[in-house]
Amino acid sequence: MNLRRFLPKSLTGQIALLVAAALFVAQAINFGLMLNDRREGRFNQVIVPSVTRLIDANERLTAHADPAENGRRRPGYDQRTRVQLHATQPLPGGEERRLDIEDAIRRGLADGGLNPKQVFAVVRPIDGNRQFVRKMSPERAQRLRRLGAELQIAVQLPDGRWLTLQTGWPRTERVLIWQLLAQTLILYIVVLIPVLLATRRIARPLRTLAVAAQGFTPGNGADPVEERGPSDVRAVIAAYNSLSLRVNAMLDEKDRMLGAIGHDLRTPLAALRVRIESVEDDEDRNRMADTIDEMNRTLDDILSLARLGRPSEPPTDVDLSALIDAVVEDFRDLDMPVQFEEAPRLKMRIRSNLMRRAVRNLIENAVKYGHGAEVSLVPGDTSVSIDVADRGPGIPAEQVEAVFDPFTRLETSRNRETGGIGLGLALARAIVRDAGGDIVLANREGGGLVATIRLPR
Amino acid sequence: MSDQPHLLLVDDERSIREPLAQYLTKQGFRVTQAGDAEGARARMAAYAIDLVILDIMMPGEDGLSLCRHIRETSEIPVILLTARSEETDRIVGLEMGADDYVVKPFSPRELAARVKVILRRAAAGGARQHAPDSGSFAFAGWVLKTGERALVDRDGVSVPLSTGEYNLLHALVTRPRAVLTRDQLLDLTQGREAAAFDRAIDNQVSRLRKKIETDAKNPDIIKTVWGGGYTLAAEVTRL
Repeated sequence: MNLRRFLPKSLTGQIALLVAAALFVAQAINFGLMLNDRREGRFNQVIVPSVTRLIDANERLTAHADPAENGRRRPGYDQRTRVQLHATQPLPGGEERRLDIEDAIRRGLADGGLNPKQVFAVVRPIDGNRQFVRKMSPERAQRLRRLGAELQIAVQLPDGRWLTLQTGWPRTERVLIWQLLAQTLILYIVVLIPVLLATRRIARPLRTLAVAAQGFTPGNGADPVEERGPSDVRAVIAAYNSLSLRVNAMLDEKDRMLGAIGHDLRTPLAALRVRIESVEDDEDRNRMADTIDEMNRTLDDILSLARLGRPSEPPTDVDLSALIDAVVEDFRDLDMPVQFEEAPRLKMRIRSNLMRRAVRNLIENAVKYGHGAEVSLVPGDTSVSIDVADRGPGIPAEQVEAVFDPFTRLETSRNRETGGIGLGLALARAIVRDAGGDIVLANREGGGLVATIRLPR
Repeated sequence: MSDQPHLLLVDDERSIREPLAQYLTKQGFRVTQAGDAEGARARMAAYAIDLVILDIMMPGEDGLSLCRHIRETSEIPVILLTARSEETDRIVGLEMGADDYVVKPFSPRELAARVKVILRRAAAGGARQHAPDSGSFAFAGWVLKTGERALVDRDGVSVPLSTGEYNLLHALVTRPRAVLTRDQLLDLTQGREAAAFDRAIDNQVSRLRKKIETDAKNPDIIKTVWGGGYTLAAEVTRL
């Protein structure tokens, strides 16, 4: 399983997670230090008095070995220090020994001049119903219960007898954990809310910027993105705005240049077209006129292809069936063998003149290479297909993609008369893709090629 | 000499102007040339010009501005020469009051044919029809937009027309209720584009009827006149 999937992706989420993690680590360190501190404090509070009591009791119980003399109610029990003297090991086995406490006691006893043979220390939870607790004064019993645990120490004296002592053992860890949780919660609320607010302040203008950049269409005259948020973000937005201005300026420049190129090339073409009128031979003159027309069409295609990114024509509702019919009719007016099975009216939202150009280019290719075209309109549920089929030589399967590249032409068809397939097809595809569709070429069964324009409905 | 139509050819490109003047002279016109708008004004003041052929793209004052000036001060027909076939140019040019336009590179024969058509029209109608091409025409629920060369139905859906169909419909719509013979229609439609020269008018009419009539067999809009030709029977409103 990949945990990365659960990590937040947004700026706000990541910063919040980072801050939360940092807070948690800081709290954990804080807690560790506090725990250590408490433990040391507890040693001083509990172990030092216990050691003192043990040493004291040892002196009193062993130095004056006559029990009757002291008039004790319980033999071997020191009333003042509440330490009991036993002849044998008094602790029940099986409980977990606290070696750290034992060490501390051993050291304390040694400092006081007592070197015990063995030291046992056990911490066990308080059972409030136990005999000795009930016998205690109510205040002591309550204090013990609040502490939550008792420490029992058994020390074997050098002479083999045992001293035992019980004392309260504060279980501070539990309290500390609750404290830590409460603290962390408060910290989270105090720190995370401003962090979330601050990052949202940064993230929102960034998101606006992302939307603007994604929807960037050159020349659509979109307003610049409002500069909001912290200065860094403002700087990014300002940079984007000036970038889009520069891109638009460059595209305007390109359009102007293309216009100039078009004008500069059309003028000599026009001059040539006028001059060939003086050619006496009709056939010669017609060929020249055809060549000039073809050059002019290619020039049109180049200019259209270059300008396609920012078309000046808005999409309108058009009867696609009538559009194809009109294009086909123009070919038939020139006595070209183009067939179109009349189709029912089909309303589409397209750029009419560009789509006419795309259909015309496909039919032109079919007429040029296949000596005729059969055009059909196939409406589907989600898309519409315009098939332009011919009975020409088709295209080798491995070259089907290559013919779409502008300015490339199939090796087999490289001659003067058949010029322009690459550009015309590239332009048609660019137009159709701009409308959200695509053009697919396929070889027909029985020979020939079928070019299909597929448009989304 | 004086019965020859006098044309003024205004173009800054000598490479086009001179051979074109030569060709038009050979076609039986008297041609005077000008290289810019200023020269054109001077020659128009000096001669009785019958028709002006005007290049749009010229340094200094451009063709559109000169065209507007001509339209404001006289009734002389104007044919524009344009380097671009962009829709906006067409609209602007025709709004400026030009009678026709050709897109470079053009066939000189076609230009000469259009010059003849416009001169004949001017001679026949006396006063020229003011900018017959411009604007939109509404008839029988349809709108023919000349600027975009589009036919739009009641629902705003445009129905593309072939060049021949458009020219025919345009000829009918600009002359509502007039009976136009096949020869007249051929004459009116062939002046505009190279296409549709040999196409039979009857064929075009039946195609148009299929597109715009509710019942193509019993037409209400384009009616056949026995022995005459065709007429547009619907009310036409200029928009």
